[in-house]
Amino acid sequence: MRSTQHVASPANDPELDHFSDPPLQVLASLASGPKHGHAMIEDIFRLCGTRLGPGTLYGAIARLEQQGWIEPLPPEDRRRPYRITADGSLVLRARLATMNQFIQAGLKRLESL
Amino acid sequence: MNSKLARIMIRLYPRAWQHRYGDEFEALLESNPGSLAQIANVALFALHERIFPTQGGKMDRNPDSFGAVVRHPSALIPIAMSLTALALVLGHIAIYGPAREADEGAVAHLWQILMAAQLPVLPLFAVKWLRRAPKQALGVLALQAGAVLSAMAPVLYFNL
Repeated sequence: MRSTQHVASPANDPELDHFSDPPLQVLASLASGPKHGHAMIEDIFRLCGTRLGPGTLYGAIARLEQQGWIEPLPPEDRRRPYRITADGSLVLRARLATMNQFIQAGLKRLESL
Repeated sequence: MNSKLARIMIRLYPRAWQHRYGDEFEALLESNPGSLAQIANVALFALHERIFPTQGGKMDRNPDSFGAVVRHPSALIPIAMSLTALALVLGHIAIYGPAREADEGAVAHLWQILMAAQLPVLPLFAVKWLRRAPKQALGVLALQAGAVLSAMAPVLYFNL
């Protein structure tokens, strides 16, 4: 009999077990208060199981700052915390609402299968 | 990641990016284990930043650097007002000579307005920036003081 030990079940597939959209993850992390880079990485890992690389994190931070969706705070030692702006909160809310709509619609379709 | 390797990795990024994020990014890299995957991640995003630079390659430098602080209106306006006052006095001296006039003319009034109007701006700048970036703020305050003294110098020297 063939072992099914290595056959990935969709529910347990680690590749499907985390969500990856770094800018949205950064915004979601900062929604609970200002954080510096290392704290964001840990918070995002707890939030959705993705551990962002330093390059990925600062790529997202630079672009979010450019768009005015996050802003830097005075540095603490060499670490600089960031906080979400009012515009950033609006964007996060809108994106999450769209995702929620998509999830609800997807689940409804699955129910009818 | 050790600090030497962190600094090498940061040099992969464009210069403007290094100025803006270099210090905090170095602190983050040093707090990470520095695995091959992380090194590859940083190298990949450094390449991405070189190809698609943030803010079209015109990224603002560190917001607390001297250059960034001195460009704030509360830093720049008093300096500009003092220099304008100085230019007015020097222009007046060049045209009419350094002799004291019996009546205060329009130039004297403008000079007084320019010098007085910057008084409320100076403490505003000091209160905001001495806490946030003390070293840079002291540099700007020294510049502002220098500009005020240079505007006052010809008035005091020629007893206008």
